[in-house]
Amino acid sequence: MSRPEDEPESPTGSTLDGVPDAEVPADAADLDLDPIADVYGEEFLGGEAVVPPGDYGPPIPSRLPDSEQVSSEMRELERRVRAHMTPAFPVEPRRRLPLRFLWKRYRKLAMRDRSDFVDEFGRDPLQAARIAPLLDFLYRQYFRVEAVGLDNIPDHGRALLVANHSGTLPYDGAMVMHAVRSEHPSRRDVRPLVEDFVFHFPYLGTFINRIGGVRACQENATRLLERDQLVVVFPEGAKGVGKLYKERYKLQRFGRGGFVKLALRTRATIVPVAIVGAEETHPMLSKITWLAKILGIPYVPITPTFPLLGPLGLLPLPSKWTIHFGEPIDLPAEYGPEAADDRILVGRLSENVRSRIQSMIGTILGDRRSVLLG
Amino acid sequence: MTAGGTPKNGSANGSGGDSPDQPRTLARVRPPLDPNNRVVAITGARSFLGTELIKQLEADRRYRRVIALDIRKPELSLEKTEYHPLDLTLPTADGDLAAVLEGKGVDTLVHAAFLSHPTHASEWAHELEDIGTMHVFNACARILPARVVMVSTTMVYGASPSNPNFLSEDAPLAGNRDSRFIDDKVRAERQAARFADEHPEVAVTALRFAPILGGTISNWFTRFFARPMAPVLMGYDPLLQFVHERDAVRALEIALAREARGAFNIIGKGVLPYTTVLALMGKLPVPLPHFLARPLSRALWMTQVFDSPPSFLDFLRFLCVADGSKAKAELGYAPRFAIKRAILDFLGVVGDDDGAPDHVRAQG
Repeated sequence: MSRPEDEPESPTGSTLDGVPDAEVPADAADLDLDPIADVYGEEFLGGEAVVPPGDYGPPIPSRLPDSEQVSSEMRELERRVRAHMTPAFPVEPRRRLPLRFLWKRYRKLAMRDRSDFVDEFGRDPLQAARIAPLLDFLYRQYFRVEAVGLDNIPDHGRALLVANHSGTLPYDGAMVMHAVRSEHPSRRDVRPLVEDFVFHFPYLGTFINRIGGVRACQENATRLLERDQLVVVFPEGAKGVGKLYKERYKLQRFGRGGFVKLALRTRATIVPVAIVGAEETHPMLSKITWLAKILGIPYVPITPTFPLLGPLGLLPLPSKWTIHFGEPIDLPAEYGPEAADDRILVGRLSENVRSRIQSMIGTILGDRRSVLLG
Repeated sequence: MTAGGTPKNGSANGSGGDSPDQPRTLARVRPPLDPNNRVVAITGARSFLGTELIKQLEADRRYRRVIALDIRKPELSLEKTEYHPLDLTLPTADGDLAAVLEGKGVDTLVHAAFLSHPTHASEWAHELEDIGTMHVFNACARILPARVVMVSTTMVYGASPSNPNFLSEDAPLAGNRDSRFIDDKVRAERQAARFADEHPEVAVTALRFAPILGGTISNWFTRFFARPMAPVLMGYDPLLQFVHERDAVRALEIALAREARGAFNIIGKGVLPYTTVLALMGKLPVPLPHFLARPLSRALWMTQVFDSPPSFLDFLRFLCVADGSKAKAELGYAPRFAIKRAILDFLGVVGDDDGAPDHVRAQG
C-alpha cells in the first residue's frame, strides 16, 4: 500500500516502482522461509570439503555393499534437491509479443501524457503538473484570486477546510487547492472532496480524480485526515453548486453535519473558508430538471451564456474572487471523539460553522464594489 | 444446511469409539495443533493457488502431510502429498470428503475449489462454488479442523459508484447485479461466516484476493488482458488493483501459519487507472459509450464470442479497490510487489524494457 506522503513524487511523475521489496513487515522473516534452507538446514548451504592438491594414487573401489542401490539413492536425492530448487514461479516469457519493436513504440506513445504511478486516491503527478499552469492562469489572471488569512492553515498536521460551494462547475475546489499550494509558505497539498454527481460525471470526474479530487465519503475523508493531510469539504454538496443566481451567497443546509463528526472522530481542526466570486462564474438563472433526469445528472443549467452560445457558454465569467481562510475552530480541544455520536451537539456545531462562514461572506460582500473588479 | 448445524448428537459416527450417551464433542477432543507437525487438506488442489501452496508445503518441513483433493491429480512431483479424487458437484461430496479426511488428523483445511473465470455453464458453477462450499463446511462440521482457510476475491464487494476508495472488510458484500460468477462467491462467503458463528472452536479465515496477476497464473483478468484490444467505457477510468501471484501465495502460506479469524483483503501495492494499465500493457483501448457497451457485451457473451459477462463492465466503470490494512495488522501480510511489477511479470517483460521512460532509465 502506498502512503502518499512517503512516496517519491517527482514532477515528471515517473518512479521506477518496478522493483519489489520496499516494505517488508518486521515479522516477515519467520514466515518467508527459504525452501532449501528449511528442508536441509544451514549445513546444506555450507562450503564444499576442500581436498588439498596432491597425488592420491589410483581411485579406491567402493566397498559399499550395493553400489547400484547407493547410486539410485543418490539419483533420487539429486532429483529431490532439484525439485526443491525448481523456482516455484519460472520466469518464462509466456506471451511472446509479435512486432516487439512496434509494441514498444506504441506503448511509449500511449504512456506519453500519463505517469505509471498514481497515489492511492488516483492523482497522477504528471497530469497534475501539466494542469498546474492552467490553474495558475485561472488563479492569477482570470479570477485574480485574493487569498486572505492563509496563516490560519497549519504548516503540518491534519485540518479540515470547510467552504461554501457555488458556481455550477467546481472551480472553487481547484482554486482553494491552488491557493494553498502556491501561496501558503508550506506549499501544502489540499485534497478536495468531490460530490458524487461530479465525481461520476464522464470525463470530468476522471479528470478531477487525476488532478487530486477524491470522492466525498466518510471513509475517504477519514483516511486522508489520518494521514495528516489537508482536506477541503463543501458540506452544501450538490445543493450548493446547483443553487440559482437569486439565491447567491445564501448558504444551504450543511448536509447532516457529517464534517463535524469527521473532525471530532479524527481530531482535526476546522478552518472555515469563505469563497466570494465563484457564484458569478456561471450565474444560473434557471435549471431544467426533466432533461437532467434523462441525462442522469442533477440539473441542466441555464445561464446568460449557456446554452445560448453553445460550448462557449461553458467559459466562466471572469469575476474577481476573494478566498478568506478564517480562524481555526479547534473542536478536538473542546470535545472528545465520543461527541460525534451526540446528534444534537453535531447539529449545533455544524450550524455554528455555517453561520461563521455566512458572516465571513457578508463581510467580504460588504467591502466588494464590483463583481468583475472587486 | 441441516448438516452444517451443531456437531452434537451426530447421526453417523464414523470415527468409532464414542459411547452413544456421551455428548459427541467431549469424545472428539482434538489434540492441539502442533505447529511442527501439520496436516493440511486442500480442495481445489489443481487451481493456481492450490498447486502453488502444495509446492510450498512440500518444501516446508513443518508440514507433515498434505491431502490434495480435486477432480484431477495435480501435475507435481509429490512426496508428502497424497491425492484423493473429489468432485464437489456430486450430491454425496460432503460424505466423501469427510470419509477421506476422517482419522487423518487434519488440522487445517484450505478451500480453494473456486472458478477463476466465469463460465457459461452457470448451473454447474453454482453447484461447484455455492453447493460445493456447503459440502466442504458440512465435512468440516464433522472433522472439526482447527483452521479453515477459504479463498475468495475482492470482487465480492462489487464495483459500485458509492464505494469508497478503499473497501474495508466490513463493507457489505454487494456482489454484482446479474453476475452469477460473483454471486456464488458471495454465497460461499456467507456460508463461511455462518460456519464461523456456529463453530467458534474452528478458526475460519476468508482471504479476499484482489485480482491476481503474474507470470504463470491464468484467470479472468489474464484472459481479458491477453487480447490485443480492450473496451474502455467513455469517460470512465477507474483505479484497478492487482496482487502479484507471489504475494498471493505468500499470503496463503501466512494464513496457514497464523491463526487469524475473519475476512482479510489480500492486496498488492499501489493502484493504477485502467487506461494506464492498458497503456503499460500496450493494448489498444476501444472507447465505447456505456449505453452501447452493455448490450454489445451481452450479445458477445450470449454468442460466446467474448468470455466476459456484461456485468464485468461495472468493474471498468466504478471502483472496487480493497484496503489491506487489516491483513497487515492482524495477519502480518503486507504486499511486496508493486502493481507495475505484477503487470510487467504478466507480460513476461524482463530486463531492458521495464516500461520506464528513457530519462529515468538513463539515471539508472
